[in-house]
Amino acid sequence: MNLKHRLLKKPWPYWVGGVVLGLLNIFLLFTTGSAWKITTSFLYLGAGLLNKLGININDWYYFKTYGTKLNVGETYFSNSLMIMAIAMILGSLASALFVSEFGIKKIKNKKQLTFALLGGIMMGYGTRLSFGCNVGAYFSAIPSFSLHGWIFGIFMFVGAWIGSKILFKYIL
Amino acid sequence: MKSSRIEELKRQRQIEIRPKKSQLPFFFFLISICIVFYLYLFGSNKIYSIIWAIGILIGITMQRSGFCFVASFRDPVMVGSTSLFRAVIIGLMISTVGFGIFQYITISNIPNYLIDDIPGQIFPVGINTMIGAILFGIGMVIAGGCASGTLIRIGEGHVMQIVVLVGFVIGTVLGAGHFGFWDKLIISSSKTIYIPQYMGFLPTIIIQILVLGILYILAGWYDRKNSIMNL
Repeated sequence: MNLKHRLLKKPWPYWVGGVVLGLLNIFLLFTTGSAWKITTSFLYLGAGLLNKLGININDWYYFKTYGTKLNVGETYFSNSLMIMAIAMILGSLASALFVSEFGIKKIKNKKQLTFALLGGIMMGYGTRLSFGCNVGAYFSAIPSFSLHGWIFGIFMFVGAWIGSKILFKYIL
Repeated sequence: MKSSRIEELKRQRQIEIRPKKSQLPFFFFLISICIVFYLYLFGSNKIYSIIWAIGILIGITMQRSGFCFVASFRDPVMVGSTSLFRAVIIGLMISTVGFGIFQYITISNIPNYLIDDIPGQIFPVGINTMIGAILFGIGMVIAGGCASGTLIRIGEGHVMQIVVLVGFVIGTVLGAGHFGFWDKLIISSSKTIYIPQYMGFLPTIIIQILVLGILYILAGWYDRKNSIMNL
């Protein structure tokens, strides 16, 4: 097994992932002034769709209090967070294609579908209360020296523990 | 075992692990599109082009290393393994130093800086953080992916993660819709706590690195005692 094969085709160890993600996050902060974050792009997607349906969500308390945080010239569908989300999907797709691992993996059953939807809703709702997901309120928040990053990390662990019990009981 | 039998087994095995169909042509096609779009962004908005490039690199890194924030929290409970958790800690230690330097440079240029001037993710902390984090923690384990992991698995072709994403969009919209309620109830009384304001800049960085280091060592010790991979 030569070096090229080991570098390119074999999975990288976890710690390499940790080092590279840490460095990329620093680079992102230095060059753009903002740290890595994701979930607000999901809100923008939902907000944009509701706007298209004729629901004026700009009146909502959330957007009135905190503003949309969109820069001049940005829309709910076209903004820096959306670029990040799409780039991550395409990066992963490119990487999977490179090692010929891409394949459509179907949903196994109804139970899985229900838990996927429910889990997604819980996560999405949680991110509004805690100002971010485990990227924005944890992986980027702890290095920003904001106390909420540590509190989020500790209580996410509590949640993961409860989730694991649910997983054992109802899903596995 | 007779050599003919061995040969037969070898042949059988080769049939079983027939090499997968190469997807390299699709890779080159996709990468060319990504580069063209990068050049387009570079011409119109430099910041966007950087975000685009870093996003793609994050996607590649997470896919290649199997990096998953959910597993980093779930594996210690379910299988006793902390190797992913330790990888996250390494990432946090590195970015602590980098973020610290960037914040220090930024703040030193602003006399009487405000919290809003400090770059990074700095937000109020309180009961709302705890409730949000617990909801998030339960959700990510039962859905089998967090925000970043969901995007990565969509890229790999998992249909289920598209459902998670739909849920995510619904959840963030609902959360934003109910925000007034939560704000009046809890969030308005939550304070934004930027640790260096209380402990000083350098001590905060040093203490944070130490705490992360201790967590790393404890996680390694926990892994050696509990991981089913070690049995």
